[in-house]
Order: sequence, then C-alpha cells, then structure tokens
Amino acid sequence: MTTLHNTSTHARPIPNPKKSLITKLNMGTGIIVGVIFAFAAYYAFQPNADTAGFYNQQNKALLAAMLFWSVGFLIGIGAFIGPFRWLIGKDLTAEEQLYLAGDGQGIKRYFKYCTDHKVVGIQYLVGVMAMLAVGGGMAMMIRTSLAVPGGHFIGASVYNSLVGMHGITMIVAMIIVATGPFGNYIMPIMIGARDMAFPRLNALSWWVLFTAIPVLCSAWFLGGIPTGWTAYAPLSVQAGPGMNAFVATILIFAVSTAVAGMNITSTVVAMRAKGMKWNRVPIFVVGATMSVALAIPAFPTFMLAMVQTATDRVFNTGFYDANVGGSGWLYAHLFWIMGHPEVYVILLPGIAILMEIAPVFVRKPLFSYNAAIMGFAGIAGLSVLVWAHHMYISGWTPTLNGPFMVTTEMISVPTGLLFLVMLGTIWRGKPWMKLPMLGLFAVIWNLLIGGITGIYLSDVPADNYLHGSMFVTAHFHYTLMGAALTGAVAGLAYWFPKMTGRMLNEPAGYTAFWFTQIGFQVLFLGMFIAGAEGQPRRVVSFAAMYKYSNMISTGGAYLVGIGFIILLWAVIHSWRKGDIAPQNPWGAKTLEWTVPYPVPLENFDEAPIITSDPYGYGKGN
Amino acid sequence: MSSDTASHTEFHIHHDAPAVVGRRERLGVRLLIVADGAFVFGMIFSYFYLRGLNANNSWVPKGGHTLAASNGWIVAAPLVVAAIVHKLGVKSRSSLTAGIVLLAMLVGAYLQWHQLAHMPFIAVDDGGRHYFEGAYASNWVVLAGANMFHYIIGIFLALGLFIRGFRAKVDPTLEYWRQLTAGSWFTWIAAAGILCAITTGII
Amino acid sequence: MSNHDEELTPTPGQRAINLFRRTDVQRALLFTILWTAVFVILGLYFYPKWMPEVMSRDMKAMERIIVGFTVISAPIAGLVMGIATQAITNRHKGDTPPPDGPAIRTNGPVVMVWTVVSGIFCLIAVVWGIAELNSMALEATAGSKEALHVQVIGSQWVWSFKYTDLGVESDKLMLPINRPVEFEVTSEDVNHSFWPLQLGVKVDANRLQTTVADTVPTKLGPIDVKCAELCGLYHAYMETSGKVMTTTDFNNWVTSNGGHVA
Repeated sequence: MTTLHNTSTHARPIPNPKKSLITKLNMGTGIIVGVIFAFAAYYAFQPNADTAGFYNQQNKALLAAMLFWSVGFLIGIGAFIGPFRWLIGKDLTAEEQLYLAGDGQGIKRYFKYCTDHKVVGIQYLVGVMAMLAVGGGMAMMIRTSLAVPGGHFIGASVYNSLVGMHGITMIVAMIIVATGPFGNYIMPIMIGARDMAFPRLNALSWWVLFTAIPVLCSAWFLGGIPTGWTAYAPLSVQAGPGMNAFVATILIFAVSTAVAGMNITSTVVAMRAKGMKWNRVPIFVVGATMSVALAIPAFPTFMLAMVQTATDRVFNTGFYDANVGGSGWLYAHLFWIMGHPEVYVILLPGIAILMEIAPVFVRKPLFSYNAAIMGFAGIAGLSVLVWAHHMYISGWTPTLNGPFMVTTEMISVPTGLLFLVMLGTIWRGKPWMKLPMLGLFAVIWNLLIGGITGIYLSDVPADNYLHGSMFVTAHFHYTLMGAALTGAVAGLAYWFPKMTGRMLNEPAGYTAFWFTQIGFQVLFLGMFIAGAEGQPRRVVSFAAMYKYSNMISTGGAYLVGIGFIILLWAVIHSWRKGDIAPQNPWGAKTLEWTVPYPVPLENFDEAPIITSDPYGYGKGN
Repeated sequence: MSSDTASHTEFHIHHDAPAVVGRRERLGVRLLIVADGAFVFGMIFSYFYLRGLNANNSWVPKGGHTLAASNGWIVAAPLVVAAIVHKLGVKSRSSLTAGIVLLAMLVGAYLQWHQLAHMPFIAVDDGGRHYFEGAYASNWVVLAGANMFHYIIGIFLALGLFIRGFRAKVDPTLEYWRQLTAGSWFTWIAAAGILCAITTGII
Repeated sequence: MSNHDEELTPTPGQRAINLFRRTDVQRALLFTILWTAVFVILGLYFYPKWMPEVMSRDMKAMERIIVGFTVISAPIAGLVMGIATQAITNRHKGDTPPPDGPAIRTNGPVVMVWTVVSGIFCLIAVVWGIAELNSMALEATAGSKEALHVQVIGSQWVWSFKYTDLGVESDKLMLPINRPVEFEVTSEDVNHSFWPLQLGVKVDANRLQTTVADTVPTKLGPIDVKCAELCGLYHAYMETSGKVMTTTDFNNWVTSNGGHVA
C-alpha cells in the first residue's frame, strides 16, 4: 500500500477549506462515535417495567445497538455533513468538495469519507479480499470437519454457525467482488467520466458496507448463526441472539447495495463521454450495470424479509408463526424473489469482465456485441420470474411447479448466448495465455458444468431427488466461485497494473491459478458425487457411505486454500514491490488505458470524445 | 458530457451545467424510488399472500380486532395534499408552498404515529407476553411503519426546501431541478400511501 | 460456429467442403467428439453408479432424467469444450501481444442457429420434465384409493410415522411392497424436509400445514430416511431407517406392534 501516494503531475494549490469539521473526521472518529451510539442504544433499550411484556428484551437491545452503531459510525465519519448542510441551506463549497475528494492527502484518504471513485474502488478491493479470506478460512474449517464421517472435529453448534457465516460472508463479498472494486475504480474511467454521478453517495455505499462487517463478526460472540445463509423462518425466529447480527447485517447491506446500484446505474446512463452511444459502451460496463440495476429492485424484498424477521423476533409479530396466521413459505418467497436475481447479480459482472478481456488477448473484435447484450438482458429479465424453483418441494402450491420449471429452463437460452460470445471471440484467434486469459478458459469449463447441473435442478422430478443435497452446494459453487469469482480474479489480474501501477507477479499468479482451479475441480467433483449419493447439505456428520467422496472434497479444498494463499501473497507482494507497469501493458483499446498511473483526480485532462467501440482489433478493421 | 476541462496549471473540481446535474439527480432519486417500490411491493405481496393462506384461520382470529379502512386513507391524505401543493408551487418556489408541504407532512406523521400508538390488536398470552393477534395485525404494523419512514424522509426534504427558500444563495436552475427531484419523491410516497390504504382496506 | 469463411465460394456445398478441410475446424471437431464421449460416459456410467438403489418408479424416473439430460447435453457441452480446447492448442506464446486475428464482428446465421438449437434443447428438457411430472401425478391419482396413509411428523430432531388406518406408530418407516403409499407430512416446529432416499420422494414438513407426497415401493430392501432442510442444532442427526417388505411381513409387523390389519 505504500505505493499509493497521490503524486499527480498537476501543480495544484493546497486546498484551504476553513478549518471546518470535515477536516477532523475520519474512520477513527467514526468508530468512536459508533461505539458510543451502540452502548447508548444497548443501555437505553434495556428491560423496563412499562414494556416488559411487549418486547423480546434481549433481541431489542442487541438489534438497536447494532443499527445505532452503523448510524453512529456514519455520523462520526461525517457522512451526514452533506445532507445536513443542504438542509440548512449552506451547501458544500468547492474547496470543501475538493477536500472530500481527498486531493493531496496521500494514504490518509483511504481512511476518510473520501469521494474519489478510485479511492472507493481500492477500499472495496481491500474489503472484498479481507471478506474472501475470512470466508475462505471458514470454508477450510468446514471441509476439515467433513474430512471424516462422524463430525468429530467441531461440534454441531459451531459447525452450523460456520456454514451460515461462510455463506453470508461469501455472498456479500461476491455481490460486490466485481462491481465494488472495478465498477468504482475502472468503470467511470472506461466511460470517460470524471467521477461517479454521486461521489458522496459512493463513499456512503462503501462506509455503510464497512459498518456491516463488525456487526456480522459479532455473531461469533453471540452464539452464531444457526440457520445457514438462507436464514429460513421459523428457524430464524427461534434462533438465539446471534441471529440479530445476521438481520442487522442484511438491513445495513441492503442500504449499501441500493445506494451503490443507483449510483453506478446513474453514472453509466448520464455520465458517458461525448460520442459513447449505447452500442459503443464497453461490454464490462453493460454487464456490470445490468447487474447492479437488477439488484436495485431485487434486494428490498430481502430487506423486507429481514424487517419481518426482526419484528417477529422483537415485537412478536407473526409473519412466520403459523399459530397466528404466518407462514415460513412467505419468507421463502420474499427471500428467493431477491435470491435468484441475486445469483445473476453476482454472475453477470464476472462474465462481462471476461468478455472485456477476450478481445484484447486474441486481438479480435468481441463476437456479436448484440448477442452479448441480449444474453445479459435475457438473463436479467427472466431471473425475476424463476424464484419458486427453490420451492418445488416446499409444498406451497405444487401446481405452479410446472410454470416455474419452464421459466427457469428458458434461462439456458440467454446463457447459451454468453457462451457463444466468448467462444466466437476466441475462435480463429491465437489466444495470448496471460493470467486473465487463463481465467476465461477456466470459466468456460466451470460455467458449463454449473449450467448443465443447473438444468437438472431446474427440472421438478430431478430436483425432487437433488434438492437440499450436496449436489446443490456443488452446483452453485461452480457458478458463483468457478465462474463469477474466477472472472473477478481474472479482472484483478487484468486491471492490477492500472489500479496499483505495478504488474502482478506472473509465476506466483500461474501457480495460484493451477492450484485453485485443479483443487476446485477435485473439491466439487467430490461434492457432486456426495450429492448424487444422497448426502444432505449443511450436515456436521455424515454416514460412512459418503466417506470417499468427502475425503476427495477435503483434499481438493486444501489445494484451493493453498492456491488462494499464493494469490494473496502475489497480490500483496506485487502491490508493494512488483515491476512498474507501462501505461497500457496489454495493448487494450478501452479508455482506462489512456490515463497514466496514478490516475489524476478527475481522470482526464481533456474530456475524451468517442468515435467507435473499443473492439477495433483485427485485420481489415 | 461537457465542454470545459480541467486546466493544466490550476486544479479545481469540475462542474457540469446545473441542468445536467439536476437531471442526473432526478434519475438517481427515481432509481431509489424503484428500490423503495420493490419494498412496498413486497409488503403488499406479504399482505395478500398471508390473507389468502389464512394459516390456522388466524388472518384475523376469532374475536380479533381490525381497523376501519378509513385509517389508511387518513394517513394517505396529507401525502396527497403535499404532493399536489408541491407540484403546483414548483415554479414559484415560494416559502408558502414549502411551508404547506412541511405542515402536511408533520400532520400526517403525527396521525400515523397516533395510529401506531393505539393499535387495537395486541393480545397478551398467559405468560404476560404481548403479541400481534393475527397475520392482518402483523402486516398492518409493518405497512404503517413503512409509511412512517416515508413521512420522515418527506419531512426532511420539506424542511430543507423550506429553509433553503430563505437562504437564496443557490443556483436557480439547479434549485428548480431539485424541486422537481423532491417532487418525484413526494409523488411516489403519495402513491405508496394510496396503495397501502387500498391494501389495508381489503381485510 | 465454424463457417467464417473468407474465400467466396459459389455453392454452399463447396463452402461446406472447404470448411471441413480447414485444420482448425477438423481439430475442433475431433475435440468435440472426445469431449462428447466424456460427458456421455459420465451420464450413462457414473450417475447410476453414484445414485442409491432404485426402489420405486419415481426414483427410476429421476435417475432417467438426470442420465438423459447429461446425454442430451453432451454434444453441446462437447462443442463448447471442443472449441475451447482447439483455441488452447492454437495459443500464442511470448511477452508481446499476438498478431491480429480476423476482424469477425458477428455472424448472423451462426447466432441464429445457436439460439434456435439451444431453444430446442431447452424445449426438450421442458417437455420431458412436464411429461414425467404428469405421469407421476397420474400414477398418484390412480393409486390413491388403495393407498396406505402414513402421517409423517418431523420435530426437532426426530421423524415419527403414524399409520392412521392401522393404528400403529413407529420411528422407523416400514412399507409393504407394490402398494401405493401416501405420505402426509407435517412439522411440529420449524421446517424439515422428509427424504427417504431410495424412494425418490422429498417433501418439506411445514408447521400446521400438511404436504402430500406419494410413491409405490417396487423393491424389497432397507431405506434411509434423512432430513434435507437445515432445522437447527442436530439437523445432521435427524435420520432414521426403514424397510420395504413383503405384504405378509408388513402385516406381521403391524400386528406385533399392536395395530390391526385392514
């Protein structure tokens, strides 16, 4: 991180905002105010005689403390200064805005409410890597525990918590893994914008997300999350105090997602460079925007499900309590109305990154830009109509299983178009096998396996056997980890030179690639077998008949673990001491490679004017 | 997007034309309205799903309480008034308009709070534990809570517009666009209030 | 995918012949065939080997679908992997970017054919799925009159079975062979999912709701019953066993447990 000094070529006057509050606030003051708020809320909401029967006292105080922590932190870091100044009619001055953009503040700006989209991108990148590391560590513990039958390594309670924490940590990390770092750092430069549409909200989306991290971690000290990441009711209503952490995390995260999604969408719609018509927008920007735009209407239903869980737990409403007219089916509906679009929110940016990479490394235009758009749009459109395929066997209305099977299987057509675009681009080219390109080939295989197994699961009779088994776990790891995460790592390898000014260490990168990908195949092949044999998911202990498949899985998991440790080392080492990168190491034609490193505060000296799409590679083009 | 660029000798934050900024802000707010709309859709879905399911015959249990449909309209009316007044006064940007909008918001918020404080359908079990007696009651309280949230954001906006009306150190074009942007929100929460009123009217 | 021909040839037949003379096309085809074979073997040999013993017609249908889908999708998966493998064999080595390839922006017929073919495969999957679903439903209605009713109750963390017509309760799932059986599944607390592996039945147990599933056991032997929905602390241990037995054995079991044979 020491290479991140802002040494722009501009001679610029040192900004001199009045010694206002803005200059004194940072992450430290945020934490202090947040902790004070949390304790104040915790004690203010302690049991008292008036409300003794009305609230579940423990849940009320804990939930209040968590939400007030988030609000307090945001006050302490200065997130509400802008809105407050608007309220009293004293808008932020140009100097103050320049200060908020972190101009000339070096490494300190990474710990402030900094509005520069490049700072936010790096914050997201570091945050995501930390989350993936923690989530991956939990995955290693899970696989270690499952190495032998009988569950001797850890108890059922810790195991169930690990499953839930691993799940939700990874889901949160995967939702932001591409659109957080690259959507914030690279995407505005790619479209020729000077910053995001709403720089202050950009900072808000990151810092709101940041406040969710300690809340989620607090679950460990409150008895854990015993429900898996799906948090099905009524189990979640019955669960202990750790569940409050889950509820609060999702409430906070949903706000962050809505703000980030709206910001990225607005930026792409309203801030594109002159001449960048819709058919000249780089494909990564299209995919990332469709992803976040899909998240905007999808996540609020999850938030609502969590609000209802919270009211059930705190005020004794009965949304999920069948005694008083509620139903667990309601939760499943609300959850999956969010949950299925959400997997495409995760997948689309990863695929879009690879489509951005492929033309550069085969020196051919992207094959059928229109097919790519139709693929993304088709997936995004259909994804909101398929949620109940997670509920085939729940018994809610078996007659509707048929229609949901039809919509679900229709998704294979736009998904097929995405394959066509990737294959058409590499066809008759000579792929340059740098790290990003290796990612493309890995994803073609992984998404193929994930896609085909998805067709079994979309089929009602086949799902009748496979639902709730390890087969499902293996399937969605192939799509989310094998496709989306691999795509994001390829993106990291591709944009690393632009984001850090240095090249990613290649030998270490290749080693990490082969360890993770081979380990991944072994790991989830074993899990497919265990699922086909009939091992339910989320079990701490399994029968001896699943011994070998689980042993294979655990072996593969260790390979993946080693691979990711090597990758992490490569990233940290290269960031500090890697070879200095040229401005455009891959010879790409998108706008982000036209700006120097470090990227100037407002990206471009002269606003670029776009005359063609960025895929003009190839003979005779 | 714009014609002027950062100069080489002196650095300054780049400013787009007020109308461009204004249009962009309205787009952003409309996208947030989409998100809030999905939340409202979810609540209405919950309401009718549990109403149709009527698990354990406890949508409204035997001897259970309900609120008259008029309650929903009472708290929706100030939202509608505010939205209409704001729309009519958006050109003039007078303090009077902003004041009426703010007043309507405050009155409506009070009425909503009053309804929440006097819910009839909280029962007590043998252990002294209070609970909502049926799914109708559960849904009603979350719908009312969301309406209260709309009021709180509305009050913030109305208060800001009111105060800013006196402190005129603002770009008139941008301020006009911000009135339109606030109008998008006021119109939406009025529509949401009506939707909630219709929903809770169907018991 | 593969008719990006640069030479202008007069007849489609000639074009096709030229296409298949190209080494990259030949190599891609070879890899396609090899990969297709891999997927076919996976479907035909490995899935039946991995899946548990088939003890009902429903289970047979499920196995048939999983194997069938694998085999049907094998050519498409083979083509995808064939093209990718061919590209890898043609890779560029070195530290500078490769020479420019042909500037193919799109190819209308290819996009069209690809979309139509994937649509047809999607249609096959849908029609097959619905047909199986229907035949299962018809079978259930046909058998419902003489069906044995078993009330399945899930509670944290045990299964119990009430044979309401016979006056027997058990924690093991005992079933007579070749007689339709109707499971009426419910839960006393949180969601569970009733899963007797070998019978190809899985249905959630919801509190205060009854969900119905039916099947006809067609083979004698032991059954594993599991819970397929995370239901709290001891979810993993919420399992029991059972048995499909001859009618005589079943009647004996009923009477010896205090029930009466209808």
